[in-house]
Amino acid sequence: MNYSGNILTKKRLNLEVREPLGLLAKTIIFLISVFLGLSISIFILILSGVNASDLWNEFIIYIFTSQKNLSAVLVQAVPLTIVGLSAAVAFRAKFWNIGIEGQMIFGAIAATFIATNDVGPESMRLALMFLAAAAGGIGWIILPAIIKIRLDVNEIISTLLMNYIAFNFLLHLLYGSWRDPLTGFPNSQQYDAFEIIPLIGWQSLNFSIVIAIFLAAVIFWLFVFSRFGYMLRVLHSNANMAQSLGIRVGILIFLATIISGALAGICGFAVSAGIESRMTQSFFVGYGFSGILIAFLARENPIGILIVSLLFSILVIGGQSLQVFYQIPFAMVQLIQAIIVMCVAGSEFFIRYRISILKR
Amino acid sequence: MDFLVFWLSNVPSFAAPFALGVLGMIICERSGVLNLGAEGFVLVGAMSGAGVLISLGDYPLSAIIIAGASASALGLLFGFLVVLLRVNQVIAGLIMVFLAQGLTSLISRNMGWVNKPFSGLGRIDFGFLTDIPFLGPVIFGQDIIVYITILLYILSFYFIYRTNIGLRLRAVGENPDAVDAAGGNVILLRFMAILIGAFFLGVAGGYLTVVVAKIWVDGISGGRGWIIIALVIFARWQLWRSIIGAVLFGCIEALIPRLAAVGVQLPQYFILMLPYVVTILVMIWSNLKGNNKQDTPLALGRPYLREERH
Repeated sequence: MNYSGNILTKKRLNLEVREPLGLLAKTIIFLISVFLGLSISIFILILSGVNASDLWNEFIIYIFTSQKNLSAVLVQAVPLTIVGLSAAVAFRAKFWNIGIEGQMIFGAIAATFIATNDVGPESMRLALMFLAAAAGGIGWIILPAIIKIRLDVNEIISTLLMNYIAFNFLLHLLYGSWRDPLTGFPNSQQYDAFEIIPLIGWQSLNFSIVIAIFLAAVIFWLFVFSRFGYMLRVLHSNANMAQSLGIRVGILIFLATIISGALAGICGFAVSAGIESRMTQSFFVGYGFSGILIAFLARENPIGILIVSLLFSILVIGGQSLQVFYQIPFAMVQLIQAIIVMCVAGSEFFIRYRISILKR
Repeated sequence: MDFLVFWLSNVPSFAAPFALGVLGMIICERSGVLNLGAEGFVLVGAMSGAGVLISLGDYPLSAIIIAGASASALGLLFGFLVVLLRVNQVIAGLIMVFLAQGLTSLISRNMGWVNKPFSGLGRIDFGFLTDIPFLGPVIFGQDIIVYITILLYILSFYFIYRTNIGLRLRAVGENPDAVDAAGGNVILLRFMAILIGAFFLGVAGGYLTVVVAKIWVDGISGGRGWIIIALVIFARWQLWRSIIGAVLFGCIEALIPRLAAVGVQLPQYFILMLPYVVTILVMIWSNLKGNNKQDTPLALGRPYLREERH
C-alpha cells in the first residue's frame, strides 16, 4: 500500500514543445537574455579591474556625447554590417560560411592588386577595386561551395581551413613582394588619394556607409521580394520539399554562397580602402566571427543586421578605449559577443519548450 | 638516412595531439553530439597546461591532467547548452570556439602567461634500447604521453566495443529513443560523452604547450582543432582508422621543420599552408569514395527530447 502511494505522489519534471509564442513574449525573452549576457560581461569586466562607472562612461556617455566617437561607431559599423549580410545570405541557404575572413583577405588582395598596379583610369579606380574585391571573395568561396554541393564535404571545416591558407598567402605577399617599399613595414603601400573611399564631410565618416546601407537594401529586396529569396525560404524550412517541388537546390545554394563570398570580399575592400588606406596583415581579424554572431542575433534579417552591427560597433569602439586605459586585451570584445550570443541561443529553449511538474 | 630518422622520430609527438583529440571527438560524437567546438577545447587545454607550469611549478604530468580537466569544465557549459537547453549544436560549437579564444586570451594576459618559456616534459631515455640504430629513437625515444596515448586507445577500444556502457554510448548516437525505451539515461550518457571527449581534447591541447611548444601564445592551436574534426570524418568515427589519420598528419607536421632544417628552398608560408591543404584534400578524397553517410552516427547533431515526435 505504502509503495503504490509513493508512486502516486511522485513528481517529475516534464518538458514539452510549446504552442508558438507571440511576438511580445519572444521579444521579452530575447531582451531578458541579452540583459543576462550583458550582466555576465560586466561582471567579468569588473573582475578584470575595470571601474563600473568607467564602463558607463566608455560605452554610453563618451560615445553619444562626442561627435568624433559617434562617427567612429558608424565607420566601424560598416564592415560589421557587410560581414553580417555575408553570413546571413549563406545561412539562408543552410551553408555555414565560417570562411568570411579568408574571403575578406582575397577581396582585399584583389583590390590592392588593382590599386598598386594602377589598373584602369583614376576616375574608375575605386569602382574597379570594388568589383575586384567581390571577385576575390567569390574566388575564395567557390571551392568549398562546389565540394559541398557535389561531394557533400562539410563546409564549416573547409571554409575555415581556407582561412588559414588565405592568411598564410597574405603573409607571403606582405613579407615578400608586396611589402611597403617606403616604410619597410609588412603591409601594402598606401593607396593613392583616389583609391580611398572619399569622406562624406562629417567627422571621419566616409561613403562606405552608403555602400553598407545599399547592400543591406539589396539583400532585403532579395530575401523579401525576389523569387530567389522565396526559394531560399522554401529551402531553409525544408530541403527535401524544395527538391521535390523542382527547385534546383544545388544551383540555389551555389548562388547564395557566391553572393556571400562577394559580400565578404567587398568587406575586405571596405576595411582596406575605407578605414586603413592600405592592406595590413591583421585587418580582417575577428570579422568572420562577428559576422556569424550578428547574422544569428538578427535572425538573418537585413534591417536587424544594421541594428545589431551598430550595437556591436559600440562594443568595439568602447572596447578600444578600455584597451588603451586598462590594458584589457581586445579579445574581451570577442568574449562579450560570445557570452551575449550564448545567452540568446540558450533562451530559445524557453521559447520552444515548456517545463511543467507532473504528478502521477 | 639521418633525415629519415630525425623525421620519423618526431612523428609520434606531432601525431599524439591529433590522436588524443580525435579519440575525444569520436567518444563525443558517437553519442550523437556534434562537437564543432574542438578548437576551443584544445585552446583551453593548451592555456591551462602552460598556466600550471608557469604559476604552480614544474609538474608536467599534473599540468596535462589539469589541461584536460579545465577543458571538461568548458564541456560542462557545452553540455548544458546542447544536452539540456537543446541549443543548435552547430551554433553552440562555434560559440565554444569564440568563447575559448576570448577567455584564453584574457586570462593568459591577466595572469602574465604569454610568451613565457618553460621546461615542459622531455623524452624518456630507455638506455641501451634508445641507442638501437634507427628503431631506438623512433620507438623508444618518445615522451611518456605518447605511450599513454597508445594505452588509451586500447582501453577506449575495449570500452566502446566490448562493454555494456560502450554499447549504450554507440546506441544513443544512433537511436536515442531506443536507449530511452530500454531504460538508459540519454541525457546522462551524452553529458558523460561530452565531458570525456572534452577531457581528451584538453589533454591534446595541453600536450601542444607542455610537450611540443613549451610556451603559450594566443591561438597556439593554429586550427588543429578543426583538423581534428576533419580527421573524425576521415576516420568515419572508427577508432582504428583515426590512428591512420593522426599518423598521416603527424608525418606532415613533422616534415615542416625538417624541410627547413635541411635547407629545402620553398617559400616558408606555402609550407605552413600544407596541413590545411592536405586536410581539404583528405576530406574531398574520403567523400569521393562515398558511403560516408552510413558510417555517420544516425542521431548526430539532433537534440533529444522524449516528448517530441520524430
